[in-house]
Amino acid sequence: LNAVPGRPPRQRIRFLPTPAPGGGGAVELVATRVPVLADHPLVRGPRFRKLKIGAGHRLDVKASGVFVLGIGHGNKLLTDLYNCHLTKVYTVDGCFGKATDDFSDTGNLVEKTTFDHITREKLERILAIIQGTNQKALLMYSNIDMKTQEAYELAVKGLIRPMGKSPPIITAVRCLQFALPEFQLEIHCLHETQQYLRKMVHEIGLELKSSAVCTRVRRIRDGVFTVDDALPRTRWNLQSIQEAIQNCQLKVETELEKTLG
Amino acid sequence: RRGLAVAAGPPSTRQLREAEEAAPVFQYAGKAAKRKDRVFVWGFSYSGALGIPSFVRPDAGWKKPRRIQPTPYRLETEEKISSAACGYGFTLLASNTRDITKVWGMGLNKDSQLGFQRSRRDQTKGYEYVLEPSPIPLPLEKPQQTRVLQVSCGRAHSLVLTDSEGVFTMGNNSYGQCGRKVVEDEVYSESHLIHQLKEFDSRVVQVVCGQDHSLFRTKKGTVYACGWGADGQTGLGHYNITSVPTQLHGDIAGVNIIQVSSCGDCCLAVSDEGDVFGWGNSEYLQLASVTETTQVNVPRHLPFKIGKVKEAACGGTGNIVLTEEGNVFVWGYGILGKGPNLIETAVPEMIPPSLFGWSDFNPDTRVAHVRCGLSQFAALTNRGELFVWGKNLRGCLGTGRREDQYFPWRVTVPGEVVDVACGVDHMVSMVRSL
Repeated sequence: LNAVPGRPPRQRIRFLPTPAPGGGGAVELVATRVPVLADHPLVRGPRFRKLKIGAGHRLDVKASGVFVLGIGHGNKLLTDLYNCHLTKVYTVDGCFGKATDDFSDTGNLVEKTTFDHITREKLERILAIIQGTNQKALLMYSNIDMKTQEAYELAVKGLIRPMGKSPPIITAVRCLQFALPEFQLEIHCLHETQQYLRKMVHEIGLELKSSAVCTRVRRIRDGVFTVDDALPRTRWNLQSIQEAIQNCQLKVETELEKTLG
Repeated sequence: RRGLAVAAGPPSTRQLREAEEAAPVFQYAGKAAKRKDRVFVWGFSYSGALGIPSFVRPDAGWKKPRRIQPTPYRLETEEKISSAACGYGFTLLASNTRDITKVWGMGLNKDSQLGFQRSRRDQTKGYEYVLEPSPIPLPLEKPQQTRVLQVSCGRAHSLVLTDSEGVFTMGNNSYGQCGRKVVEDEVYSESHLIHQLKEFDSRVVQVVCGQDHSLFRTKKGTVYACGWGADGQTGLGHYNITSVPTQLHGDIAGVNIIQVSSCGDCCLAVSDEGDVFGWGNSEYLQLASVTETTQVNVPRHLPFKIGKVKEAACGGTGNIVLTEEGNVFVWGYGILGKGPNLIETAVPEMIPPSLFGWSDFNPDTRVAHVRCGLSQFAALTNRGELFVWGKNLRGCLGTGRREDQYFPWRVTVPGEVVDVACGVDHMVSMVRSL
């Protein structure tokens, strides 16, 4: 950032004494533009010494995916985005047959079970029940009086969301792939942690009378930011960061206006 | 130097892998694991209608009597229950089995709507309140061959439909709703009388009880009725009581009816072409689309332009229909399910499918069945979810809250809901485990 040419030094008009043309001795004051010494780069030093970077929703060590950062004045937008309570989308990979103590495949083994009785229909039934109970939690934690007409209209449009603190709520689950013993789910959720998602995979295994561990958690969407907007490791340079910020600016503004009014 | 005992360090990766492979594998469910059928009940329990005696008379010191069960509670049954019906403070459960005991009843028995339940303390008297599912002795000719297809309950009478021996009726007959002649000053409590009805033009395939009248639908598509008619709910063209099942005419003459429904004093019938016919009480605008009169005693065709109707259910003050496309329409009076602002309407209004779990994520979620209680509605989706709305009388909605519900709300049931029966202040559902 410091290599970018900064703004040109300010100019000042000073009256400087110069020797008068023709004839020595008399000194005239001539107005000339002179750069101000205080603006000289060697005097001033590098423009940027520290950068304030804030992080959006947490992503733990074993998970991967979209991670939102705010730079400088963007940190204020971060708090606004947090108050919008938008849903995040994860793809979670799981594997049947094992149960470990920290619900992922790198933990200590607790139990091994058979899984050949599991079919895709049974899994989808469990996912439907999970969605149902979480839908109820969604309506309950949103703190809207159920007896009003606005509550009914919001419920029809599907816009009821908890706008404050709440336990993790899952708004939608879908099974993307199913190949015994592995399966992949797409989960839309609010206020969750990745360990909660791994625990959910474990509980799905228990409900199906078997056991399951979570092999991979990947966040593919965080509010308005998707995998397409995200920068991979190879593109962590100033140019791409600036382009990415400009591309997302409009989206973030519209979303904030729509939700917070 | 010793060097023989080496301290055990952290297990290496190879040791971990070997330990994992050597671990025993547990089997909790085999390949042929079947899904079990269960019965869940909720609502007002002091009448015994929920069938759990410890709610009314606690059998352990620490248990307290539970007046209302606000969420679904599992009821243990001996056999797989195929049909259930809720009346006014009593419930009937029927199984499709060939065993001798096919029907169980619980709840109020002051009019012998559950048959004669011999009291164990005094062999000559019967129970007035039955707290547990007790078998109902039906006078069958071939008890080991006949199967019970369906049961239905009204205010103080019940109907049992069998496949080869007609319809059995029991309970109060002061208006002829049991299909037999009204006897003056008959004492209905502790009565052994169960009447059998066989004279119909073809086999009866559906029986429905209204509040004090009974409807029978035969295989040919004709409808018979008997019972109280002061609101025209018998549909026979007069306002008197009928004590013998008589065929209905009017707009349904010659029409093949595929479903009949009634709960209070209004009745609805659906034909095979998707038309809806109604008769009975219309004080709550149920039939106001065809007539201004508040009692209609002849079946009238209701000209709704909502598409082909698949199923209809009649409540006390509101009605609900389900069309072939899977849309749900409500009309009438009361909490209809479209928010607190819609209290009454004479023309059917659609409830948006997004309230039943339809979304871009699940575009093929549709409502499969609709049922009605006296002031409650229930809808079952094809994914096995149960949605209820209406007046939450004594916790009968099963949502866990005591407030009335103005739009469809999911009931949390562990399993896939196959069928639900709604009564006045309790509900029974048949659920399949996963």
